[in-house]
Amino acid sequence: MTDPNAPRVFRLRCTFIERDRLAMLSHLEVAHALERTVRRAGLPFAVSQGFSPHMKIAFGAALPVGVGSTCEIFDLQLRDYVAADKALAALQQASVPDLMVQDARYIENSAPAASVAFPFSTYEVVFDGPVGRIVVPEAITVVRKKKEKTLVVSEFLTEPFVVEGDRATFTLKAKPTGSLRPDVLLRHCELDASPITVTRIAQRANQFPPR
Amino acid sequence: MARAERPSRYINREWGCVYKPDADFRFCMIYPDTYELGQANQALRILVNAVNARPGMAAERGFLPAPEMCDELRAAGLPMFSIESCAPLAAFDVIGITLPHELAATNVLEAIDLGGIPVRALDRAEDDPIVVGGGPCAYNPEPYAPFFDAISIGEGEEALPEGLEVICGLRQRGASRRDIWRALAKLDGWYVPALYRWRSREEAQDVGSWIEPLEEGLPTTIVKRLHGGFAESSAWEPCIVPFAEAVHDRLNVEVLRGCARGCRFCQAGMMYRPVRERSADNIVNAVVVGLAETGYDEVSLTSLSTTDHSQIAEILERLNKRYEGTGVRISIPSQRLDSFGARMADLVAGQKKGGLTFAPEAGTQRLRDVINKNVTEDDLFGAVDAAFAAGWRRCKLYFMIGLPTETDEDVKGIARLVQQVYDHAKAIVPKEQKGSIQVSASVALFVPKAHTPFQWCGQIPPEEALRRVNLLRHSVKYRAVSVSWHDPKTSFVEAVMSRSGREAADLVEGAWRRGARFDAWSECFREDAWRDAAAELGIDVDAVAQTSYPTDYVMPWEHISCGAARRWLAHEYDLAMGEQTTPDCTFDRCSGCGVCFQLKADNQLAGDRND
Repeated sequence: MTDPNAPRVFRLRCTFIERDRLAMLSHLEVAHALERTVRRAGLPFAVSQGFSPHMKIAFGAALPVGVGSTCEIFDLQLRDYVAADKALAALQQASVPDLMVQDARYIENSAPAASVAFPFSTYEVVFDGPVGRIVVPEAITVVRKKKEKTLVVSEFLTEPFVVEGDRATFTLKAKPTGSLRPDVLLRHCELDASPITVTRIAQRANQFPPR
Repeated sequence: MARAERPSRYINREWGCVYKPDADFRFCMIYPDTYELGQANQALRILVNAVNARPGMAAERGFLPAPEMCDELRAAGLPMFSIESCAPLAAFDVIGITLPHELAATNVLEAIDLGGIPVRALDRAEDDPIVVGGGPCAYNPEPYAPFFDAISIGEGEEALPEGLEVICGLRQRGASRRDIWRALAKLDGWYVPALYRWRSREEAQDVGSWIEPLEEGLPTTIVKRLHGGFAESSAWEPCIVPFAEAVHDRLNVEVLRGCARGCRFCQAGMMYRPVRERSADNIVNAVVVGLAETGYDEVSLTSLSTTDHSQIAEILERLNKRYEGTGVRISIPSQRLDSFGARMADLVAGQKKGGLTFAPEAGTQRLRDVINKNVTEDDLFGAVDAAFAAGWRRCKLYFMIGLPTETDEDVKGIARLVQQVYDHAKAIVPKEQKGSIQVSASVALFVPKAHTPFQWCGQIPPEEALRRVNLLRHSVKYRAVSVSWHDPKTSFVEAVMSRSGREAADLVEGAWRRGARFDAWSECFREDAWRDAAAELGIDVDAVAQTSYPTDYVMPWEHISCGAARRWLAHEYDLAMGEQTTPDCTFDRCSGCGVCFQLKADNQLAGDRND
């Protein structure tokens, strides 16, 4: 499927944080903002051919509005090689503090897309006080495209919540057929404290982090 | 916030925001509609930058929250807030509100009230903010007069910071609101309505002015301010890059100001004179710097008539060359028919061809002569030939219905013209692409505007407007040609705001108290609120819209001067009735409008427009 005549591109995988008020941005707004960041950084990004040329940039799995992150991902294709640390410095110069690029490294052109490479996401919830009891429902009914769909929580929630004082962490698995949103799960749990913030703190390829 | 629809419009932190937390004097510049509609507003951008450039002064932005959010804030007892520091409006020293169009009046009251400030200047306490206004609708300030402490007439780049310096100095010395009014009233270009009595109609016609100063030493005519250094100033105006999807979300570079074509219905063409062009070097540099600083992939070269710029071909050639193959789009918002030839078509072509918009305004040469449009059918067909040959497939034509002297022949002329445009397109486009041709006519109702030669002319009644639009629709025989017409339910409000005197302020407040706001949003427009308020006040809004006056009638805005002499406006009206045209002084001889004399200025062109 690779075209031998296609110009060589360099695939830069970047991670970024999305914090504080900017957790309110939608996936599309984040995508637009990052494209503009790349342009401001002056990087030699590749442009698609065709009727409507656009930057070759791909984003990781979408984050719900209101959920922040310390580990979001985008992959950028460059026409020319730029040392990863130089590219990172340029991106950081062009970023706003709450949507800041944290890391940039080259990956194989054949590596899986960021949107499917990391199906396991770990979230951290901060509550307004110590949380003692979290009762997770067996199933949650959500409305998608005007159709009701029932999600069995155990198919997504890989292990029980880990609670520590006013914080809890949990890991959700994304499936090709759909995902359970962390904010939706929390809304359906019985809790004795109210969530203040929800943050994605890790995205992994496998269920168990390497020890 | 989590409950708000599209919260990204309220949260700030965009690229390019300026924060000056240590400034002692705080100003909030408000666009009286939502973030999406106001964020790219040129006045807002320029004035926030101009105030922030002053030491000790901070300028923030404010937008009216969406209607549901306004209600939520009120229900929660929360005030309208600024974007940068999320501060309640009442906490600022000065609030500035731009008046962008006639349908924003009730939103002005909504913003002031939601900000926790009394809506009338006379009801404000000493420690309430000073509320100032400006913008296009300030040229007939009276319907807004009681809601503002002061109104800035004309270009605000210098006038606003000057006014703020005066307010700042006086507030530091503990001066009263009334002392601040007096000081502002003596500054060039500032109008302080509370210091003038509004006369009765008989008195005004007798004396020749509707306002009477209540104190000694106040000006009786307020002449607009001109930003004299516009042409030389940098065309790169730093801007904020929003997260939320907003209108005109791209780099906007103002290439020239003013238009002297002299269309007799056009207020912008009267109020931004004289014509001032920025140089090609200045503009190209601004685009290069602006794209690099913002990360935008689209730039619009803005002005009232960009293709009139004497160096437009050079500018486009240089930009096209520089940005070839980068995906950057260069667009021009308005195309003059007579300056859009094959060369211009190639230059603005780029890779992506959206629709092209032309404004013949009237369907016959006779009526185009009346309105001084100074374009011919041949100009139109030439432009259409060039555009379709260069690859465009969509063309939209703007027309007005209800122009002075319009007859059924003129209305049918629109249909004929649009169909001829389609014929031209069909003759140029390759056979297999004929299906992709789209030609449409968009029709608006004529609204008489202050400071134009047609300011004395009444609007046609809504039933008559509808009859003429139906006549047009029936006259268009081609199924491929579409005619769009927005039902002008709001047109009486526009006419009232553009033609009334101070008595209309009670109407605005009455309508707003009955729930009118966001009048420009058709789903929010509350005709009953306006009609009921008018009935209670005994104002015949239809008569206000439809009455025509002789040119010796003193209109309610004659104490405001955009520089164009009333005698010249009346003369232009007479020429219109005689179907006589007047040339554009940037191409031809001076027409004696009086602006250059009054403002001690001159047209400033970067080259020769006839080249």
